[in-house]
Amino acid sequence: MNLAMLTPGQSGRISHIGAIGPLKRRLMDMGVLVGEEVKVEKVAPLGDPIEITVKSYNLSLRKREAEGILLEEPQ
Amino acid sequence: MTMQNSVRPLPATEPAPLRIAVAGNPNSGKSTLINSLAGTRLHVGNWPGVTVEKREASFERRDERIALVDLPGTYSLSPYSQEEVVARDYLVEERPDVIIDVVDATNLERNLYLTVQLLELEIPVVVALNIHDEAERMGYRIDVTAMERALGVRIIPTVATKGTGLEALLDAATAAAGDPSRHRPRRLHYGDDIEAAAEALMAEVLRGHPDLAGKYPGRWLAFKLLEGDRRVIDEAGLQGIDPLVARAAEHLISAHGEDVESLMADARYARATGLTREVLTKPDVRKIELTEKIDRIALNRFLGIPLFLAAMWLVFKLTFDVSAPFADWLGNVTAGPFTRWTRVLVGLVHGPDWLISLVTDGVIAGVGSVLVFVPVIFAMMFFITFLEGSGYMARAAFVMDRAMHSMGLHGKSFIPMLLGFGCNVPAIYATRTLENPRDKALTALLIPLMSCGARLPVYVLFVGAFFSSRSGTVLWSLYVLGIVLAVLMGILFKRTLFRGESPMFIMELPPYRMPSGKSLAIHTWEKGKHFLYKAGTYILAVSVLVWFLLNLPWGVEQKKDSYMGTVGQAIAPVFKPLGFGTWEAASSLVAGVIAKEIVVGTMGEIYVPGKVETPSGPPPSLSEDLREIGTSFAEAGKNAFTNVFSTAGIASLSEKGESEPEREGLRGVMAKTYTPLSAYAFMTFVLLYMPCIVAAAAFKHEFGTWKWFGVAFAYQTVLAWSVAFFIYQGGTLLGLGG
Repeated sequence: MNLAMLTPGQSGRISHIGAIGPLKRRLMDMGVLVGEEVKVEKVAPLGDPIEITVKSYNLSLRKREAEGILLEEPQ
Repeated sequence: MTMQNSVRPLPATEPAPLRIAVAGNPNSGKSTLINSLAGTRLHVGNWPGVTVEKREASFERRDERIALVDLPGTYSLSPYSQEEVVARDYLVEERPDVIIDVVDATNLERNLYLTVQLLELEIPVVVALNIHDEAERMGYRIDVTAMERALGVRIIPTVATKGTGLEALLDAATAAAGDPSRHRPRRLHYGDDIEAAAEALMAEVLRGHPDLAGKYPGRWLAFKLLEGDRRVIDEAGLQGIDPLVARAAEHLISAHGEDVESLMADARYARATGLTREVLTKPDVRKIELTEKIDRIALNRFLGIPLFLAAMWLVFKLTFDVSAPFADWLGNVTAGPFTRWTRVLVGLVHGPDWLISLVTDGVIAGVGSVLVFVPVIFAMMFFITFLEGSGYMARAAFVMDRAMHSMGLHGKSFIPMLLGFGCNVPAIYATRTLENPRDKALTALLIPLMSCGARLPVYVLFVGAFFSSRSGTVLWSLYVLGIVLAVLMGILFKRTLFRGESPMFIMELPPYRMPSGKSLAIHTWEKGKHFLYKAGTYILAVSVLVWFLLNLPWGVEQKKDSYMGTVGQAIAPVFKPLGFGTWEAASSLVAGVIAKEIVVGTMGEIYVPGKVETPSGPPPSLSEDLREIGTSFAEAGKNAFTNVFSTAGIASLSEKGESEPEREGLRGVMAKTYTPLSAYAFMTFVLLYMPCIVAAAAFKHEFGTWKWFGVAFAYQTVLAWSVAFFIYQGGTLLGLGG
């Protein structure tokens, strides 16, 4: 399960960040951390990128970047 | 030298200014805060070696000299983006007396993450708790006293757009800088493991390099080493320290199962999150904010793109239609009365004819060609600043990213490319909205393929002479050709010059906010002023050079014998396979380097010689001229206003007054020298060949180097020749040459 698989309105808790190097650091600097609750708000009209809320602000990222953000399996 | 230095008395009466660095997240209102603090005293330049804008100001306040430096807006102080490196290097190397940290009160947690990192530097910090009014409106309550206690720094609520709290902020900053020992920020504990590892590493490093103790804050240095920050390792001269760091980090990694960089980010965010919980009370019921309501429509699956395109059409229309009448007015005033009276003045001092010609046709014409760009630069900068400040720029990038990404660009590249259809010059300046240097360079390289307004007169002349029955289709095909080639070149560049992972997109969608009038005015003015000073110098120099080319050697009678004609004759054979291998065509293309519409003017001079303007009746008197300048300015204002409301298309792109009788003569000559096929090849060549010198100056100005202009020049020359060759030779083979 990863962040790119959620549809608008769905949310999940981050279990692992698969990215490495600058991308991982940037994600973490933006508050995308393990244990954090994220919610997908919107998908752009052309299908990419997506808008999420994290740490109560809005962040957009491409699906390829979201694929590396793994979520806990819903209970 | 040494003597001189030792003799010069120390300026005892003037102590060194108080150095204040202003740091903060993007969208925290930092820029507005700086504008309010420093206003017109701001000096804008670039940070050395990078294209990141540097804004600074020095002023006096209550007998104290203050030197203010605006650091680039950053979310963190990691070493991965130009902005972050610039901000960090300044803080570490220059060690300002105090840091003003601008924190967005509506987004406390993420903003405090940067604050936490600033505290590590052990420089006095004062927090500006900005956008305080909006936070209150949202029902947020922030316990400032508890926050001051937890961080050990002063916290001043501010509303930068209204100027609220700024005096108190400067007071607090001055006080903190004046007594740093009492304003040392609190050391936030990052957990026993990290602190122990840092302390052990610090002790070892200082044993080997005692000189580093005074140079860097020890704990900060240890953190950076643990994080594996190569920049810091290199700068501190600690190459070869890796085994030592690995040993210190070993326990951390095995105990937590994560790399140290992630552990550090976690630890810092833990402090920011904990503090936010402590001091911030949010209302139980969250109101649906305006931003959410707007975005439901603006980013809607079906409405998002049409609304975006409509907004862009409006920006384009306003930028070019509002500025066009003023550009025309400036052009007419310099070409008309100004030139006329200069001629009279030079004549009064018995200046020779060549001097009159140099001053009027070279210098004044050059100044004029700079001036006509000023209104459009001002208008563009105004709207770009508005789009960015309001928060819509991020939405535009969000909506367009998919399409632009397929050609290796960023969602934000769309707007500069679109502006390119009006004029490439403001479009190149507009690339500054792209943070990543790679995105920025690639966007700028493709902009010249957008057919700008200056190329239109050339098309109009040729289309009128050869394709009058299908004029619309032929014109349209040229614009489409430019776009198609931009897509192809984008893909090509992505695979060659810009190979490798494309930059990340990760971008905040900030809440919509109304930018302050003062900020809009300052940003617009700065850009216009810079264009006049910096770009103007190059353009003037080239204009004078072209004048010499056209008028030397001395006493040249025929254009063909001037240096320009000689150049034209020399390079004409290059254009032979393209169907227009005449010295006339070649000379026009060379002159068109100043601005592409000059191709038409030069052709007029060369093909229809002796066409000297014969003034009917006596020339107007000075007072008549002045009155005329005034009334025509009023007329320009009226036209700008009516252009906004004339919804039918873009006024500045439509053909206006180009088909005067004198053009008819030129068309007649053209019909004899060109075939429809060679005319089309010529038009594609004009579309594609090198950017004009004003665009070249914009490249230099925006990137700080001639490198990207060089790349654009090289690829466009090759592309223009190849495409025109393909069209002419292909067409001839197909029997279209007749």
